[in-house]
Amino acid sequence: MSGLVSVAGAALIWIALLGPVITLLTHLSGSAIVSSLTAPGALQPLVVSLESGAVTVAVLLLLGTPLARMMARGTLPFPRVWEAGVLCSLLLPPLVIGLVLVFMVGPFTTIGQLLADVHLSATNTFLALVIAEVYESVPYYVLGAQAAFSAVDPRLEQQAALLGDRPWRVLRRVTLPLAAPGLAMALALAWARAMGAFGAVIIIAYHPYGLPLQIYTTLQETGLASALPFALVLLVVALPLPLAAYIWSARARGRRRG
Amino acid sequence: MLEADVEVDRRDFTVRAELDVQPGERLALFGPSGAGKTTLLEAIAGLVRPRRARITLAGRLLTSTEPPRAAVPPWRRRVGLLRQDPGLFPHLSVRDNLRYGPAAGRSGDELVQLAGVLGIGDLLAAMPARLSGGQAHRVALGRLLLAHCDVLLLDEPYAGLDSALRRLLTNLVRELVTTRQVPSVLVAHELDEAQAFADRLAVLDRGSLLQDGAPDEVVRRPATRRVAELVGYLGFVPAGEGPEPALAGIHPERIAVGAQPGRGLVMTGIIEAARPAGAGWEAELRVADAVVTCRLPDRPAEAGSQLVVTALDPPWFGPDGVALARPPRGEQAGA
Repeated sequence: MSGLVSVAGAALIWIALLGPVITLLTHLSGSAIVSSLTAPGALQPLVVSLESGAVTVAVLLLLGTPLARMMARGTLPFPRVWEAGVLCSLLLPPLVIGLVLVFMVGPFTTIGQLLADVHLSATNTFLALVIAEVYESVPYYVLGAQAAFSAVDPRLEQQAALLGDRPWRVLRRVTLPLAAPGLAMALALAWARAMGAFGAVIIIAYHPYGLPLQIYTTLQETGLASALPFALVLLVVALPLPLAAYIWSARARGRRRG
Repeated sequence: MLEADVEVDRRDFTVRAELDVQPGERLALFGPSGAGKTTLLEAIAGLVRPRRARITLAGRLLTSTEPPRAAVPPWRRRVGLLRQDPGLFPHLSVRDNLRYGPAAGRSGDELVQLAGVLGIGDLLAAMPARLSGGQAHRVALGRLLLAHCDVLLLDEPYAGLDSALRRLLTNLVRELVTTRQVPSVLVAHELDEAQAFADRLAVLDRGSLLQDGAPDEVVRRPATRRVAELVGYLGFVPAGEGPEPALAGIHPERIAVGAQPGRGLVMTGIIEAARPAGAGWEAELRVADAVVTCRLPDRPAEAGSQLVVTALDPPWFGPDGVALARPPRGEQAGA
């Protein structure tokens, strides 16, 4: 009996958590979606979001992976300081990150001027959008990847080295395959955050519009009903990667259990 | 052949040891936990940085802190290390674990043949998570052998396995080491395990090599009182003449009941306690000021009674704790 009650309680919480998604689906009609998405220029924000998300993920992989690995192995001096740095962008409200970024990479800053020298700008450009998305998503990836690397037994890496593997081969044959499920989950989370990045984006990269800003401006200009189809689009593009990563990592772990 | 002359700093002491192991020879490094045995193996494997060292293996200079300096990285040492945790790669099948080393992929026949010898022939497709402890150790051993390492370092590999399995695996390694003529070093903190494996025993304590010799010689003729304590002598009985008499080391298992003056030291003591041990009995015997533990075949008399036993050919130690070449005159210990 008490088992039944706890299952019912858990189901209630689960439904409450899924409430927004269910509500979104019940308030949408097929014709509304079609008319919203076939309007001229309606798909442009989707393209911008996908492109900036892809670049963000690439930046995270390239820069965040080595950092996470060094943090996990304790090869960096003052390990807590590095962790605090990564946590900082998680703890700062996204709006604050946006504001501070203006003072950091805006046109009248040293970095801004250096960028201008190579004909780039970090305000209201694609670059600015990527910078904002990177800042909003980096802790999700780095902390997740750090946990994934920490879970790899260093003695396995030692054993691989003693069996004749140079460090990069150990990384390729042992460390990365073992950390891969965790890395995939961390990357998927970071992707979802990047796709949904709004707070920092609205301040430093109002243009070009990605999906979150499209939803916001549509809401401001034409109201709730016309913003909903874009919300659905955002979900449809942001969620498959995390779902795929979840299923893949569960399978990879299952394979290891034999 | 492995030649290692190593000094490694640890937090509380420095490990200093010199070892030579011939091809096919089996050396056991025996000592209490924390004596520095594992540190020594890790220095040979290139996993810890020594303060001073010269290590050569099969004619190759692996480590030298003096000119010509050398510090060959672990991946080029061809040193096989087997620890208590077999360290199988969990994402690879048994077959892929076995052929992980670069030399292992060349001949599939060797893999199949060795898997047969190790008794893991029908597990090749299994994932490591499915293996029992003994099977995992066989795979780990096979992986080292297929990688054609020039030395086998075994760091208490069978701790945690039951004794029958331990005996089986020890015999298997003995045979393989002999067939392949690789030098091998086993680290053990239990004497039985060291004796079952080795044809030479080296005793290490707090980083120093105390004695090195044939296992029965080390156990029968410990060089110092400390070695005697480590190899299982539980009592030290003063006997002989003078103000500082020599001490006889009493091993519980080298005791005969009754007085046999021709075979060793006759002791008369008072039984303090007795309990069943293995197939016989173990008794605490008070002899002079010392308490001696004796293994006896039969149940001894009540506590408080007198018992005469002979410690068979015991080692003798001077007041400085160093072994004496011959027993002192007039040895006879009494209650």
